[in-house]
Amino acid sequence: MFKLSRKTIINFVFIACAVVLISIFSPFLKNSAQKTFNPHLSLISLLKRECAGIIFYHRNMVELARLKNEAENLRRNLFDLREVGQENIRLKNLLGFKQKSPLRLIPARVIARSPDSWSSSVIIDKGRYNGVRPGMVAINNLGLVGRVMESSENNSKILLINDPSQGISSIVQRSRQEGLVSGSLGANLIMRYLPPEAQISPGDIIITSELSQVYPKGLLVGKVINIGKELSGLSRYAVVKPAVELSTIEEVFVIVP
Amino acid sequence: MKNWLLILSTLIGLATLQLSWPAPLKIFNANPDFLLIFSVSLVFYFNFKIALVSGILAGLLKDAFLPSALAINTASFAVWSYFTFRLSSQISTENDYVRLVIILIIALLNNAVAGIQILSSGSFIPVGIFLRNLIIPSVYTMALSPLVFKLTKKISG
Repeated sequence: MFKLSRKTIINFVFIACAVVLISIFSPFLKNSAQKTFNPHLSLISLLKRECAGIIFYHRNMVELARLKNEAENLRRNLFDLREVGQENIRLKNLLGFKQKSPLRLIPARVIARSPDSWSSSVIIDKGRYNGVRPGMVAINNLGLVGRVMESSENNSKILLINDPSQGISSIVQRSRQEGLVSGSLGANLIMRYLPPEAQISPGDIIITSELSQVYPKGLLVGKVINIGKELSGLSRYAVVKPAVELSTIEEVFVIVP
Repeated sequence: MKNWLLILSTLIGLATLQLSWPAPLKIFNANPDFLLIFSVSLVFYFNFKIALVSGILAGLLKDAFLPSALAINTASFAVWSYFTFRLSSQISTENDYVRLVIILIIALLNNAVAGIQILSSGSFIPVGIFLRNLIIPSVYTMALSPLVFKLTKKISG
């Protein structure tokens, strides 16, 4: 059906060379493409947010009432906790503990998402100009979001924790059992390399481990919802529900080390 | 020149739409691949050289927003344009249903290539999620392709 003449083969080789050359120069082209798209992606993101506000007006109104109520309760709790906190600081000072420095954060807005289903990434509106560099970690108020893969002048690409190429050294908060959390492109994460006698059960909280070279220790990753046995039978795995709703994330904070 | 301007602005428009596809319209977290439909539909309405160069540009644009360092779509989009061109010289592609089937097959192949590339890099994807990412975005892409065909037809004059 496809009979290839000599001319076709030459053309094909020529095209293949062109594609290879483009691939080599793609980092430069990527930056230009992202720069071109930045203004209108920001504008569309703003319009989407406003439209969602109008469409979901009633839901937002109910949610607002609920959140106001919750804020009142939390304010009361905060007042009590402030007292406990003050006491804690005094006691730590007495014991000579080094105070943990607070994280320096760069707030950013998500302006675009991955154009295909085989990777899980978002593009944010802050880049090198704002101090965002590749390798920095992104979080939000609920927990770990991902890590910066690339940063151009005014935007950066964040690889989310549910991308299959991610591997996060983590521990079970309760039992300090270590494992490797990786993404599977689905809604949940998988914690692997758990020994058969590992102390882990549904409901356990998973946080980043101090063994991780990339992520700071103690960031909330998610909660265990199920435990299973690997096919080999040598180890177990846990299905972890991420603390952050990754498919609808709108704002992130990039941690400055 | 006018054709190129129209094609470039359509590429930018479709890429923007694909990047900011609203979450409520995503089916099982899948969004349609407008750039793939456009690069294939150009073969039906424009000459092969224009279609091929635009296909490479569309692939490059898609790769620019993907985390992978490999420009796999730049290469694959060019291949799909070429295969569609060869196929259209062998069979009649005037019928809308034939075009839909071609888009479905190409979307499946493109997703399979992307999936296999991820698996070959050592990442683990469960079978269910692999099949979901292979089938649902391809069918979604096929379902929305008539709209892009109409757009391409319009810009071809």
